[in-house]
Amino acid sequence: MSAIAEAPSIPLRAPSRPRPASVLLTLARRRASLTSKTPRQILVPLLGPALLALVVAPALKVATGGLHSHIDYTSFVGVGAVGLVIPLSCIFAGLSVLVDRHSGAQRELLAAPVPRAYLVLGNLIVAVGLATLQVAVLIGLSALRGGAFHITGSGLAWFIAAALLFTVFMYGVAETLASRVSKQEDYVGATPVLAILPFFFAGALYPIGAMPAVLTAIAKVFPLTHALALMRYGFIDPNGKGLHDIWGMHSVTLEAWLSLAVVAVWAVALTAISIRVFTRSAVN
Amino acid sequence: MQVVDEVPAVEVAGLRKTYPGGVEAVKGISFSVARGEVFGLLGPNGAGKSTTIGMLTTTVAPTAGTARLAGYDAATQPLLARGVSSVVFQDAVVDRGLSGRANLELHARLWGVPEAPAALRIGELVEAVGLTELIGRPVGSYSGGERRRLEIARALVSSPRVLFLDEPTVGLDPRIRHELLDVIAGLRGREGMTIVLTTHYLDEAQRLCDRVAIIHQGTIVGLDSPQALLAGLGREILEFRVSGSAPAALAALRDRGIARADSFAVGARVTVPLHEHAASSALAVIDSDRLHVSEIATRTPTLDDVYLQLTGARIAEAA
Repeated sequence: MSAIAEAPSIPLRAPSRPRPASVLLTLARRRASLTSKTPRQILVPLLGPALLALVVAPALKVATGGLHSHIDYTSFVGVGAVGLVIPLSCIFAGLSVLVDRHSGAQRELLAAPVPRAYLVLGNLIVAVGLATLQVAVLIGLSALRGGAFHITGSGLAWFIAAALLFTVFMYGVAETLASRVSKQEDYVGATPVLAILPFFFAGALYPIGAMPAVLTAIAKVFPLTHALALMRYGFIDPNGKGLHDIWGMHSVTLEAWLSLAVVAVWAVALTAISIRVFTRSAVN
Repeated sequence: MQVVDEVPAVEVAGLRKTYPGGVEAVKGISFSVARGEVFGLLGPNGAGKSTTIGMLTTTVAPTAGTARLAGYDAATQPLLARGVSSVVFQDAVVDRGLSGRANLELHARLWGVPEAPAALRIGELVEAVGLTELIGRPVGSYSGGERRRLEIARALVSSPRVLFLDEPTVGLDPRIRHELLDVIAGLRGREGMTIVLTTHYLDEAQRLCDRVAIIHQGTIVGLDSPQALLAGLGREILEFRVSGSAPAALAALRDRGIARADSFAVGARVTVPLHEHAASSALAVIDSDRLHVSEIATRTPTLDDVYLQLTGARIAEAA
């Protein structure tokens, strides 16, 4: 190693305020760069859902005869698996917040002249991007395995809106948890409850009406139930049977808007909570 | 808000931090640092130095008190306060998966340094800290010294008015440590940049700092220039060990006018600043009073003596 030279002269400057969009882009680029260095964060969340779409759904379809309706079971589970891939993807993304805190640059970011909410939002942007990629791959695999998707412009819009808002909600959950726990072990321990348990109650593998009435009622609270019904409404269930199971109304469009509102409220609430919890816990 | 150059670079008043669980890390400290000054917070581990830096950089929420950086209130104008400062943390705070250059560029973007000047500055700093050949490598592959030099370069990318260095050389081998001290010494007085550094190394404080605040258990027990703090103990001190009661031996020396109020005894060791007295006078008293002493020595005072006098413990023992 060469000897350290004399440090250069440093002209002092007035504090400048980078533009919000520029800051968010910078933080998102940082998170994307770090994520790209850990391919397991991209691939691992896909494994289980892909197995569901490629193996389990076609096998159950053969074994049980499917849903006995106009909806193809392979595509039903193909969309249902989205309800697993998004939570897993977001939980992995939240884990990187813990890594940031323990052995990364979180304190440097906290000392930066940017609103701390942007640190959460920068991560959220990448979580949404990554989940989008994973959902696209999952739906593509399901289609290759025989899933029947009837995608229209409006259907695609419902699907994207539901998936996007649910991802925002799930990332809020992950970020909040990451800010509240001190150890990675505690974070990982909470994963089954947050990412996997709702999957079994939200109509991912079977319609919620197939469950006992009390569980059906509970399922209607979960944002995942509404998100899956909306995604199916967009891709495989234009009659909105899943939405009708939730709301029991006559207008499927109204039911869709109501479910979208439910997911949106959850998304906004958890984003606000995650920002508040992060900004408070990071300096305490 | 217009910030005039005459305002102190750092103003701290009644700053206090009590952590959950009731641990009082900082107990209402106050001090002011002038523009261009190198100010040291000297004390052992756990004295409250890093918590103080945390509160000044707004990465630790204070329980009470105020802090201003270049006139900007850290509580009510946090973005402006953070915009004029940079910090090198005690632990490694870097993105290990990214290259050294990416870490520097991230700092430049977040602190709003335009792209072209940032590229120029990064090039200069990388060369100055001797990382030219490593800068494209992931930081995870850096040694501790290389990482610390990268962090110092990163803090300088935004040309801060106030640079915080929290134990900048802790954990480094002696050669790298002295190289880093050269870098820090080279920053002194450049364009009015103010440096606040924490350390428990006495030689660092003595070599680098214009003024030193000695922190003990969350309070400032002494604040002055190293020279003034040392001058308080005179040019020479007498130190010896007694086999009997050290306080009694100290009292005997005081009765005979050899020892002043600034003399002190810790355990079996007695330290006596000689001031106008000659060592021979003190030795004569020791001899005539038949004090059972050993390990008698005279030497020039150090900041450790100042710390010992103020707190009753050596820095290394308190750490």
